[in-house]
Amino acid sequence: MINKNILFLALLIFSANTIFAQSIVIKNATIYNGIDDNPFSGNILIEDGLIKKVSKSLIQGDQVIDADGKIVTPGFIASATEIGIVEIGALSVTRDDESNVYSIGFSIHDAFNPNSTLIPWNRSNGITSAITLPRNTSSPIGGLGSFFVLDSNLNIDSKQDMVMIGRIGGSSSSSRSEMLSLTDDILSFASSISAKDVRTNTDIDSLIDSSSIADYLELKPRDVKALFKLVNENMPLMISSNRASDILKLIELKKKYNLNLIIMGAQEATLVSRQIADSKIPLVVNPINNIPNSFDELAANKNLSSRLEDAGVLMMFNYGSHNSHLMRQGAGIAVANGMSYGGAIKALTSNVASSFNIEDRGSISPGKVADLVIWEADPLEPSSMPEKVFINGIDMDLTTRSTRLRDRYTKNFDKPNTYRN
Amino acid sequence: MHKNNTKLILLTALISISNISLAEKAPFESSYEPLPSTNTIFRNANIYDGEGNEFSETDLLIKDGKIIAMGTDLPGSPELIEVDASGKWITPGIIDIHSHMGVYSAPSVSSSSDGNESTSPITADVWAEHSIWTQDPQFALALKGGVTTFHVLPGSANLIGGRGVTAKNLQRNTINSMKFPNAPHTLKMACGENPKRVYGNRKQAPSTRMGNIAGYRKAWIEAESYLSRLDEYESKSDEAKEIGYKPKRDLELETLAGVLRGEILVHNHCYRAGEMAMMIDVAKEFNYKITAFHHAVEAYKIADLLAENNICAALWADWWGFKHEAYDMVQANVAIVDQARNGTGCAIVHSDSEIGIQHLNQEASKALSAGLKAGYKISKARAMKWITSNPAKAAGIYEETGSLQVGKNADVVLWSQNPFSVYALAEKVYIDGAIAFDKEKGLVPNSDFDLGILNPTKNRIQE
Repeated sequence: MINKNILFLALLIFSANTIFAQSIVIKNATIYNGIDDNPFSGNILIEDGLIKKVSKSLIQGDQVIDADGKIVTPGFIASATEIGIVEIGALSVTRDDESNVYSIGFSIHDAFNPNSTLIPWNRSNGITSAITLPRNTSSPIGGLGSFFVLDSNLNIDSKQDMVMIGRIGGSSSSSRSEMLSLTDDILSFASSISAKDVRTNTDIDSLIDSSSIADYLELKPRDVKALFKLVNENMPLMISSNRASDILKLIELKKKYNLNLIIMGAQEATLVSRQIADSKIPLVVNPINNIPNSFDELAANKNLSSRLEDAGVLMMFNYGSHNSHLMRQGAGIAVANGMSYGGAIKALTSNVASSFNIEDRGSISPGKVADLVIWEADPLEPSSMPEKVFINGIDMDLTTRSTRLRDRYTKNFDKPNTYRN
Repeated sequence: MHKNNTKLILLTALISISNISLAEKAPFESSYEPLPSTNTIFRNANIYDGEGNEFSETDLLIKDGKIIAMGTDLPGSPELIEVDASGKWITPGIIDIHSHMGVYSAPSVSSSSDGNESTSPITADVWAEHSIWTQDPQFALALKGGVTTFHVLPGSANLIGGRGVTAKNLQRNTINSMKFPNAPHTLKMACGENPKRVYGNRKQAPSTRMGNIAGYRKAWIEAESYLSRLDEYESKSDEAKEIGYKPKRDLELETLAGVLRGEILVHNHCYRAGEMAMMIDVAKEFNYKITAFHHAVEAYKIADLLAENNICAALWADWWGFKHEAYDMVQANVAIVDQARNGTGCAIVHSDSEIGIQHLNQEASKALSAGLKAGYKISKARAMKWITSNPAKAAGIYEETGSLQVGKNADVVLWSQNPFSVYALAEKVYIDGAIAFDKEKGLVPNSDFDLGILNPTKNRIQE
């Protein structure tokens, strides 16, 4: 058994090496590089999993793929998902997005399942990586999300605990004023933590004992460490919030504590777009959703993205989890309602990378990891699909459980269905 | 039982007039009146007619609420508004066969959560129309997406959830004045996880799928018995009726008997292939017809069976994974249903979503694209049926709307470009030949909810 495993491992390493040894050139591509607003015709050299060269003139390579003028974009990055930690929404045994013990420092990282069916499905639709988040906790801020590469590799390629989340808004249990005060108190406590306070768990325990807010929230050492990281390591704090007045309060908190703040939802952002732009706060929005779903979202409107773009606000798009890829359709709707095409592509790629400190991905430029998609047609038309998806420079298989089921019921009727493909 | 002869005679007289109708006079009748007609001739349009045909550079004339003519170089007239539709597209008004607008209004708050009477697994007595809040701001959003008619159902908590209602998308103060005149009533039934979860959690039946099936059968047995008592009474001579007892009205059984008499159309929420097959058996046992399965994520597994039984499947393009019975999603589901038995299947793209209803054209586009990738040859003109004539048939209003046939209601959408593109926007929407939305002229309905709610001097949405 052991021998078999070693052999398998050796084979894996060997085959991975052979893939990496080969250079790939994608030629005749219409490149949206995620940086420039307009596309250009060019060629891309991929080597050792990285983009080595992007050029308008011809490049030599071991393997040449003719894109035939088709659009090539960076792999899209889903900015707020449950990919890998929720398989079936209504089945709690397949959900790993909640903790009964930890609050602020709850990390979903180790629960990530690279074999989740959501991964090939979203990948086949052009999503190459994702930020996966826990559910909001009872605390207004708390819970740590991680970044994952969607290559279905059991050897997980991730950035652990790279964002803290939170929520400020209308609630059936308490006033938003209480939420804001509590957030202020938590951040004040976080700012008071020094490096020596968090050297050992004993140090942390005594810190908790000396802080009424930490004591009240029953914080654990992991929670305190997360707060220390938030304040001292410029960790993004992504708060779900929609009402214009709440957004302004969050801007105050950002200034007071020098936070790396991102706001998600932001349905009323158009009412305070100048202040958001001035404070350089990136937003995660879902351009498909124009429903005034709560009294916090009354200004919800299909022209949200276009108006925010005009105001100079940096945006990222998101759309749920199982179909995170539908953020493409959202981007198309944003463009139909006035947003620029290049801006929409950035909202799916480089804006996510820059806002979340994902330095090595999100654009087609030399030195970046080769996460690329060759599209059969316009990527913002939900009817058009990727022809090829590269992750870490590897040409991914685009089969999904869904296409397997489709083929079983549309082809080869010679045998009973359970004996087909 | 107290007997009132005068009343009885009156009732008898009414029964003999209506002959088969269960209630003596249909209560809550539609009082819908169209807006004044906008008699219009569209010039040089590209047209999907909703019957599977595509025309280019064609004129369309609508007058006095109806489709009058379609053709090239139609004669104009000074009293007609001329619309240059060159490079643009015209389709029938979009119809959503699965909506909860008004029963789950926006904002989504407990005071507006009126879609599930989840206090008993059989609530055939409740009517979705009685829950509808006509000031729901979502109606206008759907109108901007080209939706002219929609069918509102109760939710799926119950085995038999109650009656649905078909309405015109013209927001008014009463639901009666929005109801589609003479549209048949419908009945919402639900399979699978939802009823068994809702009632099983309360340690009451049904808590299993076999409990679900037993629940439907018991209800239909009661309905059969009620119907035979009614039939027996109604077959009597007028003299015998005067001295006999009329079976007491029963709201629940009236609805079920209406199904057994073929007057009320069954719309059955059901995901799994095996369960749909069982529901077909239940329908055969009690001799009623299922008009459409809704959601039907596994319809592709039994597409032939659905076609053979003349049952439509109302589907999403790509929703999946939110529960176990929605796990086996195939994007070609709509196309597979459509193409079953040599293209005799009835596929519908539905929304079940106040977001999705705003771009059913895009949902159809995704479903079409998946169908083409699965190897089917389906035209865009045919795919347009999935959101027009097919839902019209399933709602029982196909004679009046759902396609651009001459004589039908002029429910028409003018699109900025091909509606299968994400960039297409509805520019003008007509209901019964009257303009209800005009993007260019800023003619947009705003519900009472939208007025002055963020800023007293403005409407909620700033275009």
